[in-house]
Amino acid sequence: MQDAILVENVGKHFQRYHAERPLTLMEAALRGFRRVKPLEKRWALRNVSFEVAAGEMIGVIGHNGAGKSTLLQLLGKVAHPNEGRIKMRGRVGALLDLGAGFHGDLTGRENVFVTAIVTGLSRREVARRLDRIVEFAELEEFIDNPVRTYSTGMMMRLAFSVAVHTDPQILLVDEFLSVGDLSFQSKCLNCIAEMKEQGCAIVLVSHDVSQVERLCDRALWLKKGTVMAYGEPTVVAGQYTMEMRSQTQQRTPHHPIQLSASGTELRVNENRFGSMEVEIINVQLLPASEINRSDGLNVTIEYLASKPVEMPIFSVSISREDGQVFFDSNTQNMGITLPIIQDKGKIGLQIERLDLIGGRYFINVGIYAADWEYAYDFHWHVYSLTVKSNICGTGVLSPPCQWELKSLARSNTKS
Amino acid sequence: MISKSMKPLQKLSWRLPYLWDLLRSLVDRDMKLMYKRSALGIAWTLISPLLQLLVFVFVFQVVIKIDLPQYSSYVFTGLLVWNWFQNCLFQATGVIINSRPLIRQPGFPTAILPVVVVTTGLIHFVLALPILVAFLLIDGVKLTPLVLLLPLLQLIQFALTVTFSYFLAALNVTFRDTQHTLGVVLQLFFYLTPIFYELKGIPAKYWYIYGLNPLVHIVTAYRQILMWGVQPDWLALAIISGIILILLPISYQLFKRQSLRFVEEI
Repeated sequence: MQDAILVENVGKHFQRYHAERPLTLMEAALRGFRRVKPLEKRWALRNVSFEVAAGEMIGVIGHNGAGKSTLLQLLGKVAHPNEGRIKMRGRVGALLDLGAGFHGDLTGRENVFVTAIVTGLSRREVARRLDRIVEFAELEEFIDNPVRTYSTGMMMRLAFSVAVHTDPQILLVDEFLSVGDLSFQSKCLNCIAEMKEQGCAIVLVSHDVSQVERLCDRALWLKKGTVMAYGEPTVVAGQYTMEMRSQTQQRTPHHPIQLSASGTELRVNENRFGSMEVEIINVQLLPASEINRSDGLNVTIEYLASKPVEMPIFSVSISREDGQVFFDSNTQNMGITLPIIQDKGKIGLQIERLDLIGGRYFINVGIYAADWEYAYDFHWHVYSLTVKSNICGTGVLSPPCQWELKSLARSNTKS
Repeated sequence: MISKSMKPLQKLSWRLPYLWDLLRSLVDRDMKLMYKRSALGIAWTLISPLLQLLVFVFVFQVVIKIDLPQYSSYVFTGLLVWNWFQNCLFQATGVIINSRPLIRQPGFPTAILPVVVVTTGLIHFVLALPILVAFLLIDGVKLTPLVLLLPLLQLIQFALTVTFSYFLAALNVTFRDTQHTLGVVLQLFFYLTPIFYELKGIPAKYWYIYGLNPLVHIVTAYRQILMWGVQPDWLALAIISGIILILLPISYQLFKRQSLRFVEEI
């Protein structure tokens, strides 16, 4: 398939200026033009290469300041690379700061015209598509009102609608899915999926790893301007998460050895990681830490937050002695945003059936900072769980199953 | 980097309908905004030179008498030409900084912005022409076929203003006080341009410096074809056009570089 986007060894640097760089003509004239020149270069991106074929979606992940926005600017030709080359085939649409281009004093209709023409449609094409744009944005009644009377949601709906109705062959998306109401979000997602099917190449920038895993065909992980990993979304996402874990280790303070409620020693950086801003003080497994194959399991985490913490993420996973993880669930990928937590509290996860093969397992629990930046407290291989079953084997799953034997012997002899 | 593989001219012809539509819609937007923001709307752009004219007529016909025939027509021509030039330079200077959302759109041709400003100014200039003609007729001026050269003069002034606009807008990215400085400089040049006085009064020994101001020749050329019905000073116009042809590409490149830098820095 033909590449819609080709990025080869791209590098981009910014310039740092003298702190006392003159900002006005007068100053410059008085103090001399020496300090107008930049002091040094700082690379915001270096040696970045990837390609996106038509109909493909690539996810770019990384922490703040990793160069994600710079990459989008380069792709949008808003900035030019200092090294390497970028090839783009087709019209580029962008879902970057939605609605910023609108002028408050103009009506929605007038703004649609200007914005759509800027994106590359002709006047006649805009006139033809106007009804569809307005209908998609659900703004039929308000389209002739000045945009300054719109709510943020209405502005974004209109901006999104314009962007997708200009038939871009390449779409640049910047974290927009985290804003707007839920029904609008799902509408956007459907719309993007449809465009992708019709052959639109999409670049999604996000720091939500699970979103990239779900939506993208490939993932690119940027760290401090360089590519850390590029390939299958699940693989890249895994590496990204691992890296975060090692960062957590560095943040883990020295902490006296504690005993867990079940009596296991909690040793920092061995089976316990995290900054301890929030501590896991107790984990309860119900009905018991020894269950039957077909039983359900309830994991209750008791925590203590010494100071208020915003949007934490709770996670529970089940693994075997060798570290293989069989189950992994967290509040973020279940779509739960938690409020600010403080002091003591409890959170529970109810698993209806485990259906794991008999053996010894560990329940790992963790509390993470917003966006998985690092862990507050993570207990690895502390809480053991034994699944009793008379069925053993090399498999992992043991769902309810039956063998049925039907002999075909009689019909064979007849013919 | 990408465009180098495509022939520039070929690319331009492919982009031309787009640029035309864009120019139209952006000028349209500017005009609409002007209507919406002031109660007087477009009338304001006419009232302002008329008030200026009134003051000049009072000062130089009543207080200090200048012997200059058809004074109202003379001053009004000068004012229209000068105001177009001055207003555009003012607005164009801030155009990169004020149009950040537009510049951030993928593929937006930033270089169109000063052209939009100058075109909007041209439309106001054209809208004021009937009033100018009325003054000319009241002053008993006989219009000759030379009036048809008006579009040519407008074209030269257009190109000259765009050239300066690119340069000033680029400068304003590095030095944010360009607009203030420009105000002072423009005021000085207003007096160094024959808007309300005659050229005859300039002593020959100062002429070589005075004549370096291109607006001197442009304003005179307008008067030559509109009021006096004589051929404009072709030599001066040719020299100005030649200088524009050299400077325009340079200031255009400077503008493009600076507008990129502006987006990248923030």
